[in-house]
Amino acid sequence: MAAGKQCDSKQQWEVIKKSFFIEGNLSDISDGEDDLALVIRLVQQLGAGQLVLDLALDAIWVALRQSIVPKFWSNFVIYNSQRCGKDDDPGEGSVEVMSRVATAISELYDSAVSFLPQIHRCEMLCEHSGAKFEECIPGGMMEHFKLHLRATLHSQMPTSFTNLLHKFYSAAFKVFYHAEVGNQVEESDETTDEAMQCGGCDAATDACHCQAITNTFCQVNRQLLELDLLERLAGDIISSLLLSVITDHVSATCRDSYDQSRISQLEKWVENVVIGWLEVVYCGGRGQLSSADSAIQTMVANNLNQTYMTALYHTYTTTRIDQLFNIVIEYPESQPALEDIRECLDRTHLRNHLVESLRSAIQTRLLHPGVNTTDVLHAYISAIKALRVLDPKGVLLELVSEPVRQYLRGREDTVRYIVTSLTDESCSELSEELLVAAPLVLDDSHSDDDNMDFWETWTPDPRTADIISMLVNIYGSKDVFITEYRTILADRILSQFSYDTEREIRYLEHLKCEVMVKDVADSKRINSSINSDENPRREKQKFPVSCMILSAQFWPSFKEERLQLPEEVMKELDTYTEAFQDLKGNRTLNWKPHLGQVQVEIELKNRTLNLTVTPTQATVIYHFQERSRWSIGDLSTITQENFPCPCQGVLQEVESDVFVLVEGEELGDKGHTATVGVSQPDIAPPAIEEDEAESVMASAQDQREEELQVFWSYIVGMLTNLDSLPLERIHAMLKMFVQGSVECSPQELRAFLDRKVRQHQLIFTNGLYKLPKN
Amino acid sequence: MKVKIKSWTGVATWRWVANDDSCGICRMPFDGCCSDCRLPGDDCPLVWGQCSHCFHIHCIMKWLQSQQLHQQCPMCRQEWKFKE
Repeated sequence: MAAGKQCDSKQQWEVIKKSFFIEGNLSDISDGEDDLALVIRLVQQLGAGQLVLDLALDAIWVALRQSIVPKFWSNFVIYNSQRCGKDDDPGEGSVEVMSRVATAISELYDSAVSFLPQIHRCEMLCEHSGAKFEECIPGGMMEHFKLHLRATLHSQMPTSFTNLLHKFYSAAFKVFYHAEVGNQVEESDETTDEAMQCGGCDAATDACHCQAITNTFCQVNRQLLELDLLERLAGDIISSLLLSVITDHVSATCRDSYDQSRISQLEKWVENVVIGWLEVVYCGGRGQLSSADSAIQTMVANNLNQTYMTALYHTYTTTRIDQLFNIVIEYPESQPALEDIRECLDRTHLRNHLVESLRSAIQTRLLHPGVNTTDVLHAYISAIKALRVLDPKGVLLELVSEPVRQYLRGREDTVRYIVTSLTDESCSELSEELLVAAPLVLDDSHSDDDNMDFWETWTPDPRTADIISMLVNIYGSKDVFITEYRTILADRILSQFSYDTEREIRYLEHLKCEVMVKDVADSKRINSSINSDENPRREKQKFPVSCMILSAQFWPSFKEERLQLPEEVMKELDTYTEAFQDLKGNRTLNWKPHLGQVQVEIELKNRTLNLTVTPTQATVIYHFQERSRWSIGDLSTITQENFPCPCQGVLQEVESDVFVLVEGEELGDKGHTATVGVSQPDIAPPAIEEDEAESVMASAQDQREEELQVFWSYIVGMLTNLDSLPLERIHAMLKMFVQGSVECSPQELRAFLDRKVRQHQLIFTNGLYKLPKN
Repeated sequence: MKVKIKSWTGVATWRWVANDDSCGICRMPFDGCCSDCRLPGDDCPLVWGQCSHCFHIHCIMKWLQSQQLHQQCPMCRQEWKFKE
């Protein structure tokens, strides 16, 4: 009985073993529901449910680990070893890769499917015998199986697999992309592209594998999806593939063209191509979306869509930021690109990146000695305009432009250039900006700062991005700028005498020099009143006198020159002064004799010259009426002028510093004639070119020099008492003695002292300044 | 040779004929303007008192308005009367 029982139990065990394939061969799985029901009852009787289940599952895991997964991976390992050593081999064509992957995966799929009855049995067993498998895993036995499959696959994955799968997916994507794009531009592309080879699979058109590839691809995806392996094995590859595709596409789209808005076009592209392809991958094709799992649908629709759109914005913005310097330089044309960036900046977190990148681009491309000040300024202006588009609040501009401002401050010719271009009509960019710009308004927004009711919605005040203010602000204050501007304006007014102030008025309203302009307008009125016919003095007048009457306090200081005008002229000027005094009680005029414009007619023996000359020139030629030969020294005594300028081609230098009047036409024969305009004297009054360019105003630098001159006597005193001193000591002592009167930086003082050294008024040795010994 | 001057356009600065350079009230130069004005000259003229002191008209008017009892020259404390 015992033996029989033993035999019986052995038999029973064999049956169970066979039924659940414990230690069994997977190939001979038999399927019999009746049989299964019996066996389960048997197991129940024996009370060995848990044991049997454990054994059965273990058998499956072992099979997975030892045969199925290694076999699957061996497909790829072989591939790897074959390829070894020939890296530059183009490798298998897309078709071979496709078929290899497809075979491997369908093999895997088949073997996995062959386990299904087994899994089913185990489930039945659980149900009837109350046996339990690991409880922590949600889902049924099937999930449990898939989990093991994934884990086992992962534990043995060869490195080459990723490459291969990447190839697989990119080939598939290429086919898809070709079809997708081909659909859109079919007519235009047909002739060129189709003729040679298929754009999808790189094979000759007549042997196109596109359809085959698509079919294989769909099959593989479906199988992977069913095994829950798609995301696990290919998810990363798919997303990295798509990201690189997006990057390529974006940079191809954005290359060197800033004049179109691209963002909506790109959004559409992502929607069509990227999302479209994802639908193919995850749902087996566009049309079948409805039939696919609803969870996957939602995932594709929301999650992925958002992910790839974000990626698109990020890529696009990064690309544009890299190009930002060029975009800025080409500003008015690049407006659409800037608007794109502005839109994207709100959706990405690239503000800081933008600032950093633009700053460094400016640093390397703009702020070096090889670039003209003009160009730096143009770039600066473009940047102001462009960044205004990007960020109306001006915060970006503030951040980016600071280094440029700092740099421009260091260039000597900046002020002069800005001012010239502001006033020069030919350089329209800035002058137009001046005309359209609203006058510099003081920001009165602080008045409602006290209003705390809306503190939650408070935003920082917009920074001023008015171009003129930005330019002026390069120097931190208007002073330097206005000084220079006044100098230039004075030159312009005093060299043109046109009394046409319309343009200047507009500039000046912005720059607060309106007094100068008003002087011009007033002068015009006073002149016409004094020179009107009703004025009794007019009859006695030998020639009309007009005057530019200036308000000294509001003009830059004039170079002091004491030109002694001819008696006749002085009388006329005095008459004018009297007329002025009558007109404006209690006021009188101080003439600047060397400034002005004189129309003279010079009658020579055989010709008459009509010239417009400076007062100095007029005076000189006037004196040649009395004597036809003057030496420079004599002339200087009479005119009080240090360097009379012999010119007009009527004077000739016969010996050094001695001039004679040339009456006849026989110029050029003896000696060298002095200047211009002789050959065609009657055509037009040739303007005197000489010295015209020299500014009549003391330039800002000259004025500064004069201010520094105040220090000189102190310095001489110091050095007399203390013999020799270093720069720092001199500076410190000056600060103590001359407190408050003139500010002076050590650098400026050094420049001043160095000039003195060059003029031999100082000696500089061993870092010490001292006076030369007489 | 004969030189005939056909016209002469000169440059001059104007100034007030006064016995001082700057206004005793605002300390600005007479040839400039008082602190409330932007344009000198006709827009910010000088006035003389019978005591012969002179000021920017805006400055002295302001001063006179601030005096309740006696209208005095701020310089010499004599009664202020405009010079005719």
